[in-house]
Formats: sequence, C-alpha cells, structure tokens
Amino acid sequence: MAGLELKSLHKSYGEVEVIKGVDLSVTHGEFVVFVGPSGCGKSTLLRMIAGLEDITGGELWIADKLCNAVEPRDRGIAMVFQNYALYPHMTVYDNVGFGLKLAKTPKDVRDQKIREAAKILQMEHLLDRKPSQLSGGQRQRVAIGRAIVRQPEVFLFDEPLSNLDAALRVDMRMELAKLHQDLGATMVYVTHDQVEAMTLADKIVVLNGGVVQQVGAPIELYQRPANLFVAGFIGSPKMNFISVTVESVAADTVTVAGKDLATMAIPADGTGIKPGDTVTLGIRPHDLLNQAGTIVGEVVLVERLGNETNISLKLPSGASWLVVLDGDHDMRSGQGVELTFDPARAIIFGADGAARHKR
Amino acid sequence: MSYLRRYWLSVVAILVSGVVFLLPFAFIVLTAFKDQKQSALRDFSWPDGNYLWSNIVEVVTTRNWMLLTAFINSTILTVASVTLLVIFAAMVGFVLQRRKTRFNGLIEFLILAGLMIPPAVVPTIWLLQGIGLFGKLHGMVLIEVAYGLPFSIILYRAFIATIPRELDEAAIIDGARPFDVFFRVILPLLWPVTVTNIVVQSVAVFNDFTNPLYYLPGNANATVQLTLYNFQSQFQTSYNLLFTNIALITIPPLLVFLFFNRQIVAGMTAGAVKG
Repeated sequence: MAGLELKSLHKSYGEVEVIKGVDLSVTHGEFVVFVGPSGCGKSTLLRMIAGLEDITGGELWIADKLCNAVEPRDRGIAMVFQNYALYPHMTVYDNVGFGLKLAKTPKDVRDQKIREAAKILQMEHLLDRKPSQLSGGQRQRVAIGRAIVRQPEVFLFDEPLSNLDAALRVDMRMELAKLHQDLGATMVYVTHDQVEAMTLADKIVVLNGGVVQQVGAPIELYQRPANLFVAGFIGSPKMNFISVTVESVAADTVTVAGKDLATMAIPADGTGIKPGDTVTLGIRPHDLLNQAGTIVGEVVLVERLGNETNISLKLPSGASWLVVLDGDHDMRSGQGVELTFDPARAIIFGADGAARHKR
Repeated sequence: MSYLRRYWLSVVAILVSGVVFLLPFAFIVLTAFKDQKQSALRDFSWPDGNYLWSNIVEVVTTRNWMLLTAFINSTILTVASVTLLVIFAAMVGFVLQRRKTRFNGLIEFLILAGLMIPPAVVPTIWLLQGIGLFGKLHGMVLIEVAYGLPFSIILYRAFIATIPRELDEAAIIDGARPFDVFFRVILPLLWPVTVTNIVVQSVAVFNDFTNPLYYLPGNANATVQLTLYNFQSQFQTSYNLLFTNIALITIPPLLVFLFFNRQIVAGMTAGAVKG
C-alpha cells in the first residue's frame, strides 16, 4: 500500500555531502520520527521526500512509485511546516481549500471536504477568519487541515510543534497521536524533541551527520542503543559514560575495572574484546542507586525536586556524571557519595563506539 | 512661554514647508483666476476679477480641443505602462529573489545600470524607427516601462525577501504551478508595494514631459504635459492660460496621491525593517 522506501538516498550541495546514503523502509500506516542534532540532515531528508529538494543519488519510492523526478503535487504527500506557512491573505476556509481549488475539484465536493477536515480538527468556528486572527495552536490546526484535505499517502511534518508553548505542545502532541490513529495514514515527522519522538513514534530514525545511526521502536532505542551516539542522544538526562579497562572476558560477561569503578562483571557480547582493551561503559542516570558499591564520587550540585533528586557528581578521574535518585535526599555539595548499579543495566561500547549487547 | 520654547522649531518647520509647498500652488491658482493683462505682471496679487471659467474654456478648446486628446493619450499611456510595470517588476523581483543562479550578479548590475545610466535619445529613436514604433503610443508605453522598471524591481525585490519561502513551498506542495504561486500567493501579498509602485510610477509617467516630447511627435499624439507649450512662445506667453492649464493637469495626480496616500508609506518602509 502507501508505504515509503528510501534506497541509498544521497544529497550534495556542490562538494558538501549532507545525506550520505540513507536506506529506510516504512510500511503503510507507520508513524516514523526522524531525530538528530541540528544540521544532521533530518529536515533535508524530509524535504527530499516532499520534493522540495532535488535528490542527488539513490531512489525514492512512495507507494510503489519511483518518485525521484516526480513533481511534489503528484507524489501524494502533504506537508506541515514549522512556521505553519498559511497564506495570510486567505481565510481559513480558503487556506484549507487552496489545494483542492488548484486541482479544480468541483465546488460542492471541495466544500464538503473542507468542512469534514474542519470537523476532525474541531475548527469549524474558525473557517471565516484570517490566519492573523488565530492563535499559534489554531494556526497549526489549520496547517494540519490543509494537509488532511489532500488525502495524501504520506503526511510529512517538519518540527510542527516547536513554535508552540510548552502546554500547547503537549496537547497538540496528543492530538497528532489521535489523528494518526483515526486516519491510519503513513506519517513522517521531524523533530529534535526527544519526548515527541518517544511518545509519537512507531519507529524512530536517529540521524547524525547525514548517516542513519539506528532505526527501531522507541523503547528499543532506549534499552538497546546501537552505538555511543544513540545512547547519548536518546534518553534524558543523557547517559553517563566512563572509560574502563577489560580484565577478563567470559562467554556472556565482560569484567571491567577502571579509575572510577571497582571491578565489575557486566553482561555483554565479548566477541573481539581482549583483556587489556579500553572500552566505554554507559549507565543511565536513573539506573544509579544510592548504596555502598562500586562508584565513589563527590557531590558538586544538588537539585531537589521532591519526587527525585538530581545530583552532579565528580568522579576521581575528573569525569562529571549526572545521577537521578528516586525520592528526596538531603545532600550537600562537597559531600562524598557511594553509588552502585545493576550490571544488567549497563552497556559496554567497543573502541569503535558500537554497543556490545548480550546476545 | 514654555510652549514657545518647546514648539518653536516645529512652528518654523511648518512655516517653511508652507512656503515651499503651498505658496507655489497658491500662485498657480491665483494666476488662473486673472485675465491676460494682470497675469502678465507675474506678481503675487489678488485677481481683479474672476476670469477662471473663460480661461478654462479657452484652454480646453485651444487647437481643436487638444487638451482632451492629451488627457485621453496620457491616461492610456499611464494605465498601460503602470500595469505592465507592476506585473513585470513583481515577476522579475520574485524570480531574482527566489532563484539563486550565477547570472544574478549580472542581472542586478543591469538593473542598477538602468537606474544610473542616462537614456540616450537619438539611438532610441533610431531603434524605434527600425521596429516601426516611433511616434506610436504603444512604443511610448514600452519606453516608459523600460525607464521605470529598475526602480520598481528594486522595490519589489526588497519586499519579496520578507515573504517566507515556506509560503511558496506550501503552495507547491498544494499543487501550485509556478504561475499559480506567483499570481495566487505572492502577488496578493505584495499589495503595499504595488500601491507604492502605482502611485510613484503613475505620477512619474503622467507628469513626464521630455520623453513624450522626444518620442511622440505630432498633435494627435500630444500628452498633457506637452499642452503647456500651447501658451508659451518666444515672444508672447499667456500666463493666465498657462497657469489654468497647469492647474487642470495637476488634478489627476493629486487625486491618485490623495486616494493612495495612506497606503504608500507602508509600502515604502516595508522591506526596510523586518517586522
């Protein structure tokens, strides 16, 4: 059906290559989110799918049709922009119906479709207003309405919520999730907001430097990140890393020790790791426990939120960590603290940065 | 006392602008009321009697109702040139602002050259004769368009830069072809600059004296500014009729200006500061 297939997609601006061979397969009805830091190429990739950027190399298939050289209007896509891009001189009704008017849809059909979209988005009372008379959330609704009436195969969203205030963003996020359920259409969504990515996506694509780092379900990315970049990017606060030395390697465990860590056996895939190698150990701030154990550090800063306590920690090697402890803990900066963690929760990354999950 | 100290500069400014802008106008109107004898004195005196109506009749009927022909010619010339100017300048400005190619620098240079280099009359006449447009009204329209284009393009381009590109892209995704993007999305948004262009260019074209003088010879081709020559000659000038004529042909630009006055400022400053 209306899936989406990217085959080794490339994009260069002159000498500079921004998308370096992206392969991705999206099945019909999936909600895919592109995340990555600024300048990682996620918006460019979306604009290539939309047809607003030329494709330098590779193939783009939308609903079993090769779309490399197809005009945007014939691709069966609709796009929602970050700054809404509503036509300021038209009413909401005309904004939503602009595409249908250009397609020479008969007036009664057009009217029916516009009212239907307005009903889905609960904006029937706004139809006669101009965009300047609308609030940010209402404008975003109109922009989505404009996408809905086109009945596209694929919806494209370019950071649609980043211009809204925090409370409205949460509301609109839920509405988008609901819209996806109701319409059952394929959606591709670009964001740098992790929470949006984690909550909305069926599938997250993490991009960095124009290369796909990992594709997978949100929780899979959180629990089994493929490499150091994904581990550091997904999850908030950021995962803590320390460099440790391998002491011994068994079938399913790697025993490591370091300046900041007493000897500990971590479940991991030890293939290719030898005793004496330097590897990176990653542990999430929420997985650290305030018990006598393998890590000793000095408290630098404490943020007491009541339900949890955020602690900035300085390790003996000088590395700084962030620890999130459940409940309230009365700690002072300068105080020494001892921590431990469940070895199964820690992840070992090889020298190449790839994660060594236990198989 | 304190009022005087606070506002004396404003009062001086108002008086100076009154002298500069209103006195000449008052002189025109006063002279238009005088008879030939009194007007020949060329002084700032009150008219002895009201000769306005007879002056108007004389001016309008002179040389077989030449003023009427001139008004028709000038109106056609102004409307046609300004319409073409607005459409072409907006199109050039749009493409120049949105499509970055290596020719942009050259095109911008040509536009600036059009503003800076004074037009050469004789080669232009030679060219017009070559293509059979010399002494024709539509040839004159093309000349006015060519002379006005650079300024209009610069105005439009600055304004188009403030229209977000996402608007074009949204329209493209909605299925708009390039002409749809321009005529349905961009051109309506350019209204403030379009008003500015209409006012500035129509006043310039309507008041143009030298170009019709060079390129539109012949009584049937006269434009309003050329009718001023009906009443002055080397040895004798009818100042009362000349000033009546001036008063009559000042009315249309004045109306245009009063009508669009409020919108023109927005168009001039828009694009200067992002708002």
